[in-house]
Amino acid sequence: MLKAYMILSIILFSIGMVGLISRRNIIVIYMSIELLLNAVNLSLIAISGDLGDSSGHVMSLIIIAIAAAEAALFMSLFVVLFRKKGSLDANIFDILGSKHES
Amino acid sequence: MSHSILLNILLLSPLTSAFLIFLLTISTRYTKQTLYTFLALSGSGSSAVIALYISYMSYFEHKLFVSHLFTWLNISDFTIEVTLKADALGSFMLLFVAPVGFLIHIYATGYMHKDKSYGRFFTYFNLFIFFMFLLVLADNPILMFIGWEGVGLISYLLIGFYFDDIKNTYAGNKAFIVNRVGDFGFLSALMLLFIEIGSGGFSYHAIFSNLSSIESPMLSLIALLLFVGAMGKSAQLPLFVWLPDAMAGPTPVSALIHAATMVTAGIYMVARFAPLYTLTGDVSLLIAYVGAFSALFAAIVATRQYDIKKILAYSTISQLGFMFMALGVGAYSTALFHMFTHAFFKGLLFMGAGAIIVAFHHKQDIRELRGIRKSVPTVFIMMLIGSLTISAIPPLSAFVSKDAIMNVLYASHHLDLFLMALLSSLFTALYMFRMLFVLFFSETTHEATLEPSRNSVKSMIYPMAILTLLSIFAGMLNLPEIFGGNLHISYWLDLADRHFVLSHTNEIVLMSGNTLLILSVIFYAYKRYAYNDTILKESNTGFVANKFYIDALYNMIIVKPLYLLSVFFDRKISHELIDNTIDLMAFNYRKLGKFFSILENGNVRFYALYMLIGLVLGFIYLFLLLKAML
Amino acid sequence: MRSIALQNEIIFLILAVLAVVSSIVMITAHRPIDSALSFIVTLISVAALFGLVNATFLFVVQIIIYAGAILTLILFIIMFLNIKDENLPDEKYKNLWLLGTTLLILPFSAILIHLILKSDIALNSATDESFGTIKDVGLTLFSQWVLPFELVSILLLVALVGSVTLSKRND
Repeated sequence: MLKAYMILSIILFSIGMVGLISRRNIIVIYMSIELLLNAVNLSLIAISGDLGDSSGHVMSLIIIAIAAAEAALFMSLFVVLFRKKGSLDANIFDILGSKHES
Repeated sequence: MSHSILLNILLLSPLTSAFLIFLLTISTRYTKQTLYTFLALSGSGSSAVIALYISYMSYFEHKLFVSHLFTWLNISDFTIEVTLKADALGSFMLLFVAPVGFLIHIYATGYMHKDKSYGRFFTYFNLFIFFMFLLVLADNPILMFIGWEGVGLISYLLIGFYFDDIKNTYAGNKAFIVNRVGDFGFLSALMLLFIEIGSGGFSYHAIFSNLSSIESPMLSLIALLLFVGAMGKSAQLPLFVWLPDAMAGPTPVSALIHAATMVTAGIYMVARFAPLYTLTGDVSLLIAYVGAFSALFAAIVATRQYDIKKILAYSTISQLGFMFMALGVGAYSTALFHMFTHAFFKGLLFMGAGAIIVAFHHKQDIRELRGIRKSVPTVFIMMLIGSLTISAIPPLSAFVSKDAIMNVLYASHHLDLFLMALLSSLFTALYMFRMLFVLFFSETTHEATLEPSRNSVKSMIYPMAILTLLSIFAGMLNLPEIFGGNLHISYWLDLADRHFVLSHTNEIVLMSGNTLLILSVIFYAYKRYAYNDTILKESNTGFVANKFYIDALYNMIIVKPLYLLSVFFDRKISHELIDNTIDLMAFNYRKLGKFFSILENGNVRFYALYMLIGLVLGFIYLFLLLKAML
Repeated sequence: MRSIALQNEIIFLILAVLAVVSSIVMITAHRPIDSALSFIVTLISVAALFGLVNATFLFVVQIIIYAGAILTLILFIIMFLNIKDENLPDEKYKNLWLLGTTLLILPFSAILIHLILKSDIALNSATDESFGTIKDVGLTLFSQWVLPFELVSILLLVALVGSVTLSKRND
C-alpha cells in the first residue's frame, strides 16, 4: 500500500514537471509548482504513517505554510506583471537573455 | 718597467683621444675644428713617436717590451692574461702602422675639412688605431681577436660614414658580413686549439710550444680555418667582394684601412702563426695558390675599371695576393717586407686619388677626369712615382720587395706560382699606367674644372710628400746581398723562413727580365691610352668588366635565397600560418559562444527544461551504473 | 479485516484516479480559470488520501489552507485581473511541448517507480490511536520542531510585507 502511495506521488510529481515546462501561461506554471509540492507532501505523510513518527506530519505542515507565503508573493507578482506587460505570456520576460546584449 | 709604461701609453693615447673627441661631439654642437684636430693628432702622433722609439730599441738593441695589464679569465686550466708584447714582429708592425696612421691623420684633417661630421670621423679613426695596436701587440690570440673584431667594426662604421645615402650603408654591411664569415673560421680554429692544447696556457708562446702534440689532420684543419679568417680580412678569393664596395667611404679611410693597415692584419696573423704553418705544408701551399689566383684575378679585373678608387681597391687585392704567395711558400719576412713597402706606396696612391677627387667636385670616373696634369701638377708627380713603384721599377722600394717575392717563388720550384705572379705584375703595370695615362696624358676635357685651392691642401700635400720619399727609399732597409745590402729586416724579424738557394746569376737574370717585360707593358699602355680616346671606346660590358660576374653569382646563390627564405617565413609562416590560426581559433570561439548563447534566452521555463534534462540524464546514468545491484 | 483492506484499496484507487485526471486537466486547460477549478479537485482528493493514512489533522489543514486559502486567492486574482482572451498567450505548440516533455520525463519516473516496486517496504498501519491527531502533531511541533516553527512565522511576516510592497502603485 505504501508502494502505491509512493508511485502515485511520483506520478503527480511528473505531471507537475510536465506542466511547469510545457505551458506558457504563468498562472498554470504556478499551479504546477503547487502540484509538485503536493506530491511531495503525499509522499512524506505516507512514509510518516509507515514509520509511526509524527515528524513527517510536521514537515508537511511547514511545507504548507511555506506554500502559503509563496502564494501571496506570487499573486502580487502576477498583479504587477500583468499591469506592466498586459499579457500572461512567460516568454516575454527575457531581459536577462542574450538577445538583449550587444 | 718603463718599457711597459711606454706600451700602455702607446695603446691608450689613441683610445683617450677617441673618447675625448666623442664626448665633445655629443655634448656641444659648436666646437672649433681646431680642437678636434689637436686631440686627434696628439693621440695618433704620440703613439707614432713611441712606436718609432720602440722599433728603434727593438732593432738596435734587441729589446723586448712586455706590459702585463691584468688577468682577464682564470677558469681552472684556462687562463687569459691581458698582456701586450712588442717583440720583433710586433715592433715591425708598429713601425709602419703608427707613422703611416699619423700621416694619414694629417691628410684626413685636410680632406674632411668641410665635413659636418668631423668629430665623429676622428673618433672612429682614433679608435681604429687603438684596435689595430691591440691586434698587433696582443700576446695571445684571443686578445688579438678582440682587435681583429674591433678593426672590422670600425671599418664598417667608416665605410658607412656617409650614411645618408643608403648604398654606403649596404657597402658597410657587406664588409661586415663577409668579414664575419672569415671570423667564423678564425674562431673555430681558436676553439679547436683550445680543445687540443688549451690546458697548457693560451699565449702564443705556450701555443707554439705545444703544437707538436696535435695530430697532423687536426693541425691542418686549424691552419686552414685560421686562413679562412685571413681570407676574409685581407680580401682574397673568394671573400674579397667587400673591398671594392668599401670604397664608398671617405678616401682617408680607404688609404688607412684598406691599403695600409686592416687588410694587412691577415698577413700579420699568418706570419705570427708561422710555426703552425711550417708544420702544415699542404695548407701553406693552398695559401700560396689562393694568393696567386686572387692576384691574377684582381689584376685582370682592374684593367677594366673606370673608378679611380676601385682600380686601387683591386690593386690592393692583387698585392695582398702577392704577399700570400710569399707566405705560402714559407718566405715570411719577404712577404712582410712587401707589406711594409705596400703601405707606403698604396697609401700614397690613395691619397693622390683623394686629392684629385676633392679638387674636382667629387668626380671619380677616369673617363671624365682626363687631362688634368696641368691643373694638379704636384699630385701628378706623386702619382707618377707611386705608379712606377707599384710596377716594381728599380730602384724604387717595391722593386726590392716584389722582386724578392718573385725570386723566392722561382726558387721554391713552383713554376706555376711564379708564372702567375709574373702575369699579375705585368697586368699591374698595365692597369696602373692605363689610369695614369688617361688621367694625365690626355687632352683636357671640358668637364675637368678645378675647385679653387684652399689652405687645407697643404695638410694633404705634406703627408703625401713624406710617403713619396718613403716609397722611393724604403727599399734600402732590406736590400738583398747582390746589391750590397744585408737583409736587415729579415734578420731582425727572425721568423721561421725557409731558406732558398738562388745563385746570383739567376737572380740578376730574373730581375732584369722582369723589368724589361714591365717596361714593355708600360710602353704598350702608352701607345694605347695616351693622347687618344681609346678609353672612351672601351666597352664596359663583358666578362672582365663585370668582375667575372662574381658579385652577381654570390647574389644569386647566397643573398637571394636567404632573402626569399626570410620573406617566406615572414609571409607564409608568421603571417598566414600563425596569425591566421590564432585568428581562426579566436573567431571560432566567438562563434561557439554565440551558438551557446542561444540557450541563454532569459526564459525561465527553458532553464527549468535544462535542469530537467540534466536530472533525467543523471538518473539514467545512475541507473545504468547500479543496474547490477538492482 | 480483509474487506476493510480491500475497501481501503478501492477508495485509494478512486481517489488516485481522481487526482491524476484532474491534474492532467489542470495542465492542459487553456483558460486559467478552468485550471484553477480542476486544481481544487486535485487538492481535495489529495486531502482525502491524507485522511486514508490516519493523518486526520493534515487532512483538515490541507482543505482549509490549501484548497480554502491558496486556491481562493488564486481564483480571486484571476477574476480580479480581468483576463480576456487576448491577454492569454497563444500556445500553438502546446500539445507538442506536452508530449515532448512527457517523453523526456518518462525515464525519470520509470526508474523511480521501478525502484519503488523492487524494494520491500510495506504500510503497516498498526499504530496507536492518537497517531496523526492534532494533539500528537502539536506535541511534536512544539517540542522537536520549535525552531522551524519560529522561522516559518518570520517567513510569513516577510511574505506579508513583501506582497504589499510589490504591488503598490507608485503614485
